[in-house]
Amino acid sequence: MFQIISDGSCDFSNEEVRKYEIDIVPFYITFDQSTYLKEGIDITKDSYFNRLLTEKNLFPKTSQPNPQDYIDIYTPHLKEGKDIVSLTISSKISGSYNSAVIAAEMLKDDFPDRNIAVIDSESACIGQGLILKEMVKMRNAGLSLDKTVELTGKVLKTTRLYFTLDTLEYLKKGGRIGPTTALVGGILGLRPILQFLNGEVSQIDNVRGKKKALELMEEAAVEALRNEKDNVCVSVGHILSEQDAAGFKMGLETELGIKVNEPIVEVGATIGTHAGPGAFAFSYCKKYDSLT
Amino acid sequence: MLDNINNWYIVAQVLGVITIGFEFASYQIKDKTKYFLVTGIGSFFWMAMFVSIGFATGMSTQLSLILAATYSTIRNLVFFRIFSKNTPESKEAGLIFLLAMIVVGVGAGVVTVLNAPTEVRWLHIIGLITALGFVIGQYLPGVHYVRITVIFYAFIVLLTQTPLNILYGDFRWNIMGILIEVAKISSVIVFYIRYSSEPQRPQLQFAKP
Repeated sequence: MFQIISDGSCDFSNEEVRKYEIDIVPFYITFDQSTYLKEGIDITKDSYFNRLLTEKNLFPKTSQPNPQDYIDIYTPHLKEGKDIVSLTISSKISGSYNSAVIAAEMLKDDFPDRNIAVIDSESACIGQGLILKEMVKMRNAGLSLDKTVELTGKVLKTTRLYFTLDTLEYLKKGGRIGPTTALVGGILGLRPILQFLNGEVSQIDNVRGKKKALELMEEAAVEALRNEKDNVCVSVGHILSEQDAAGFKMGLETELGIKVNEPIVEVGATIGTHAGPGAFAFSYCKKYDSLT
Repeated sequence: MLDNINNWYIVAQVLGVITIGFEFASYQIKDKTKYFLVTGIGSFFWMAMFVSIGFATGMSTQLSLILAATYSTIRNLVFFRIFSKNTPESKEAGLIFLLAMIVVGVGAGVVTVLNAPTEVRWLHIIGLITALGFVIGQYLPGVHYVRITVIFYAFIVLLTQTPLNILYGDFRWNIMGILIEVAKISSVIVFYIRYSSEPQRPQLQFAKP
């Protein structure tokens, strides 16, 4: 038996953390660059986004867990004699993976008989969440740590994550687009559709209006999953736009004739800081047992 | 040395035909980057055509058209750079440049409107609006905006531009200015005929899991 640990980017609720018997290493959020709050512990998603909505000039930042944060979470499990499989947000957009690897190295001497496997999810938020749930299924099915790591590597290569934003303001604040691009895009009502590809975010389309963006995403999702619907897990996420997510989920279920069992996910600050309120995300991956 | 008016006139016709080819081809292209490259090259030949006519008739008669065509060429090639590089930096720099050009263009347009005789002022105002609409249409995503806005723009150019007045007598008339606009309109019509008969594929495609 091994312990599964993820960083907070997976956006699991506290109930899910308990239900799936995993541990979370939270990211930090700061509003003033002096006080750092642990997401999900010192500040909830709701209060974070409500502050974002009500305080217009707020410019929060997130920062990755440091190696000591990982050590603090890893150590009790190692002391209990458990091995660890640790999943992180894409190493191309955060240093969380690096912190986890450093922590694992530092703990080697103290726990020479224990095994810590750190996996870069090459994804984030609900994409990472789907991979994590597959890992839980593997553990519960009694698979070994090595087999779980091997299959997780396969699952993450099938994971796709797409999202669209309701405002360009937060991309501008985060320095990902320039002020002129944000201004022109805002005036023209442009909504980028973005994807995680090989661990990095890239734009795949740009459309006018959120409604159009959601329609195109649903159409593309149905097309991509039509022949795979029995072999995939699907997840839908949002930031303060549950109606959009519910509508998308319902549309997908109707078009594909499937039941999306995963609850709609409220995306957290790790991605939310850059995406902003109104963002919508959609992800899917192959079930691990379809890859064996 | 082409110092004869008729020779420059012939050169202008050849450049006009080349422009028609590029302009027609550009509206058959769905890919924005390729569209801007092809229409940018077309605009260059369009500008060269006016320069040739200027050599034939005197540059002062062509100056405003040469400036307008140069503006189009630069704008299309800046758009080409924005869409081909597609980095936040290239987009930002390109947009700042284009906005500055639009401000200058609108300023010049307003001066033209104010200096125009009252009875034709409305035509200049519509010209200004459709030109601005066309630039926005070029920037907007998808295949439709640019084609819809170019139709309006081309119609207004047909009405407001003076290609038929450029040269003196019947035999020297350069009808290319009109043919170029007609080529754009007919290219859009051909595109939509082709488009309607194509199997409709989703605009956006997600990768298989």
